[in-house]
Amino acid sequence: MSEAKKSILVVDDEEIIRDFLSEVLEDYAISLASDGDDAIEKIRSHKFDLVITDLRMPRVSGEEVVRFTRDTYPGSKVIVISGYSSLATVSQTVQNGACAFLAKPFSIKELLLSVEHALQDTAGN
Amino acid sequence: MNLRTRFMSMSLRIKFILPIAAMLVVSMLAISGYLVRRQSESFRHELEVTGETMVRVLAIDAESGVLFGSKYDLEELLKAPTQFDVVTYTSIKSVDGSILAQIGDSAKQAVGIMTAEDSILNDTSHKFTYTTGADGNEYLVITRPIVTVKRAVSRENLGLTGGLDSTLTGGVTTEIIGHIEMGLSLEHVNRSILEAKIASYFLTAIIVIGTILMLTFIVGVVVRPVTRLVKVTDRVSHGDLDVKVEINQTDEIGHLARTFNNMIESLRQSRAEIERYNKTLEEKIIERTQQLEEAQAQLIQSEKMGAIGQLAAGVAHELNNPLGGILGYAQFTLEKLLKNVPERTTTKEIQSYIRYVTDIEAQARRCKTIVQNLLRFSRSSRTVEFDDVDVNKTVEETLTFVGHQLHLNQIELQTVLDANLPHIQGNAGQLQQVFTNLIINAMHASLPGSTIMITSRFSPALGEFGGTVELSFLDHGTGIKDEHLKRIFEPFFTTKEVGKGTGLGLSVSYGIIKEHGGEISVQSAVGKGTTFTIVLPIQKPEPESDKEEKQRFSFGVR
Repeated sequence: MSEAKKSILVVDDEEIIRDFLSEVLEDYAISLASDGDDAIEKIRSHKFDLVITDLRMPRVSGEEVVRFTRDTYPGSKVIVISGYSSLATVSQTVQNGACAFLAKPFSIKELLLSVEHALQDTAGN
Repeated sequence: MNLRTRFMSMSLRIKFILPIAAMLVVSMLAISGYLVRRQSESFRHELEVTGETMVRVLAIDAESGVLFGSKYDLEELLKAPTQFDVVTYTSIKSVDGSILAQIGDSAKQAVGIMTAEDSILNDTSHKFTYTTGADGNEYLVITRPIVTVKRAVSRENLGLTGGLDSTLTGGVTTEIIGHIEMGLSLEHVNRSILEAKIASYFLTAIIVIGTILMLTFIVGVVVRPVTRLVKVTDRVSHGDLDVKVEINQTDEIGHLARTFNNMIESLRQSRAEIERYNKTLEEKIIERTQQLEEAQAQLIQSEKMGAIGQLAAGVAHELNNPLGGILGYAQFTLEKLLKNVPERTTTKEIQSYIRYVTDIEAQARRCKTIVQNLLRFSRSSRTVEFDDVDVNKTVEETLTFVGHQLHLNQIELQTVLDANLPHIQGNAGQLQQVFTNLIINAMHASLPGSTIMITSRFSPALGEFGGTVELSFLDHGTGIKDEHLKRIFEPFFTTKEVGKGTGLGLSVSYGIIKEHGGEISVQSAVGKGTTFTIVLPIQKPEPESDKEEKQRFSFGVR
């Protein structure tokens, strides 16, 4: 790959999910955050092409991460992954500015499609 | 009055028969007595007439015999009347009383009848004397003077004095020259009278008996249905309504019987209705009780389900995270293996496969544990079986699906569990329900960043069941107001918003702890926090008290 790898921030309090995402998305420049605080800290110091975040996390929730990302970098993309999905959660997430919602457990195909789709839009921009 | 009371207390039959029979007997006796008397008078009169006739004839015929003193002629004369059975004796006496002639034994039967006074009677008429002889029999003695007729001339010449016979005319006088005496036995007459008496008594008896029999029959005809009616009423009054008066008469008694039968029928119907109503009522009570019990059980179950609902987010997250890992790693591994060329597989690649599969296994186990705990928790409380329970383990299992919730609410959980805690006899699912309830309550009361502390310890000295296990759930939350504290275990008491809590959590917990033979208590200070303390006996409570508690629990929730 000649051009720089696209950067992705993975935010989840579950270690297994973080580990797995970093394995699957090894073609990208992956950064990891174990909670909302950590994520916001990282987003503030670096603009990621894509943020993949869990919703339910202690202290700072996924919603805040989404909002913060949108506020800080209006063009950036966020994919939300959550183990607790309801129609209300999904619509709320989309309203907040997420471009995709993945319900846990999700397949690799779903994930990769969502990621590629999100990054394509970024490239277009 | 006393007699009247006695009479009134007699049976109807006696009341009818007795007076009628008595009246009949009295009247029959009076009638027959009168008739017998008349009969005996008539018999005596007849005897008197017969005797008198004979005596008169004899007195006339004896005139010459006496005058001439011919004993033979007189005896011949006296033979004639002796042919009659009734004539016992006949004797002719001179004026001085000496017997001139006699037939029959007067000495034996009527001796001494003729007195000196009698003999000098100058009455020309006859005289009847009834007397009892030496043999005890009754006799009629007829005496009549024997007279002779004399011319007036000769009378004066003779110088005799005597009564003037008015029947004689023209200086003719009668003179008593002797007496004739006839003894007539009354035996025949008396026998006839006796026969008449016996006959009349016999007749009276027959008539009385016949009448009584007839009366009995007639009274029976009237009284029998009444007696039957009385028997039936007796049975009815003892509650037997399956009886019927069997009287097929068209008279007043028949009418009474029919009316009574109708009455029994309507009584029976109303009783059947009452019984039916009672039965329905009983069935309804049983049904309602059952419904109530079911509702109670359902309430407990729904409270539990409500708790699960509250936990749903946590549980879903809890399950979906490991499932995400499992699915992801499984697909990832599969993809890699499909592309893999066996000859070119490096040790590193194999090691990463091992790591993936190990992760899959670990996460699957995690899922299994969560599902198991959830199942144990949600299992119906109707199957309450007591078993060995490790309370510490139960607390830890509870934390597997409450822990994440606490984590999300940024509440620190601290557990100080006594490692030497003995097992207790109890139901782990139910205890887990209690622990979940207490932890969730503490979480709701706590602010982010505060700590909930769960402590378990063994108190060997306490309790008669080989010691107790003591658990406390401490939070530093808002605390409970005093007025709420008193009602905290009451069913449906809640301070949460409508729809947020059932108000049953703590009352159900109270019931469960009671069922374990334990105690649950609460201390709280507003603004400082709350501590719930549970004391559980190590040994299973006595079956009796266990049952008692269960009953109390099932009826009162708390």
